[in-house]
Amino acid sequence: MGNIIALHSYKGGTGKTLLSINLAATYRKRGRNVCLLDLDFRAPSLHVAFKAEGNGYWLNDYLDGTCDIKKVLVELNPSHKEGGRLFVGLANPTTEAIREMSAKDRKWEMRALGRLLSLKTSLFNEMHLDHIVFDTSPGLQYSSINAIVSADAVLVVSSLDSSDINGTQRMTRELYDLFEKKTGIILNKVPAGVLSTSSKKEKLLEHLRTIHNLPILEVIPCFCDILEAGGTYVFAEEKPEHPFTKTLETIAAKIEKF
Amino acid sequence: MRYTIRRKAMTTLRRSEKSPTQILEKIRESLDKLNEKMDVFIEIQRHGQRDSQSIPDVLDVMTLLSLPDHLRKTAVTLCKLDQATADEVAEQTKRARAVESGYLNQLVLMGYVKKERRGRKAYFYVEKES
Repeated sequence: MGNIIALHSYKGGTGKTLLSINLAATYRKRGRNVCLLDLDFRAPSLHVAFKAEGNGYWLNDYLDGTCDIKKVLVELNPSHKEGGRLFVGLANPTTEAIREMSAKDRKWEMRALGRLLSLKTSLFNEMHLDHIVFDTSPGLQYSSINAIVSADAVLVVSSLDSSDINGTQRMTRELYDLFEKKTGIILNKVPAGVLSTSSKKEKLLEHLRTIHNLPILEVIPCFCDILEAGGTYVFAEEKPEHPFTKTLETIAAKIEKF
Repeated sequence: MRYTIRRKAMTTLRRSEKSPTQILEKIRESLDKLNEKMDVFIEIQRHGQRDSQSIPDVLDVMTLLSLPDHLRKTAVTLCKLDQATADEVAEQTKRARAVESGYLNQLVLMGYVKKERRGRKAYFYVEKES
């Protein structure tokens, strides 16, 4: 059976969505069948990244129990000759849907957890997927904790910001460890100066290992061209030689050995 | 009196023609049941005679976070399995059946989990609709 990977962070804006999209695309290129789910119901964004309008069914409907997960999933670029298949499940981006999702009660959240947990049977067994990638909301809230409990591995995306590092430490102790999750850290948007020499990078890694007591999967520099692209295309698909794409390939391989 | 009971027991054992393994298995089952009942008594004392039916609560992620580690593991496993016997939970958690049975019964007493007997087996589940 495949595995579910949740990308999470303490603060917003760390690059979870960018990494989720490119990680899913990297797996597809490696010949894996992947499904990427937008579980950030407060700020849905995958519909913009993939220029997908949805098919009338959203993940909101699946968690509500009003439709099957297969009705929600949309296959992207089925014309790809090489590699595996990539499916995406979108969150409803309308203001009304966002408002509704933030007003759900505990009983609803409990049922939503049950539905996320049952994805393993329905998607891995029936659709022969290898990986499911969850793009989650930042911080400690129902939708992100539901996603973490349902996942097999958690990738925590952090910046060098001290409040982000502190929050990540706390979440490790009070969330990931409590649910006995395999957890790895990706340090993203690191200023180039901090990584200018290999000794500087090693020093940073050593420091992070002491702080987090978790495997540091990768340190990703801040790439200006990624910011300039503004999420208009998928780097892992369009720029195969870009260092960011290469880093994603390393991360994808590391997760499969997790 | 004691002699009569012992003789009766011996006669019953002889009549049932059970192998020593079957008898030991029966004793183990009885001890497990006794263990479950002891856990329930301990829990009732700890929580002051709380009635499981009168305090339904929601086993959502926030509740899972607030549970002690040993109960959280059992509760998360039960959520994954949807409904299960103590044996099935024990298979996942790699803990003894009797231990899981005790923890599941504690969760029943706390109002998070329901228990239903079907034949000789007890099934535990999280009630989602009500």
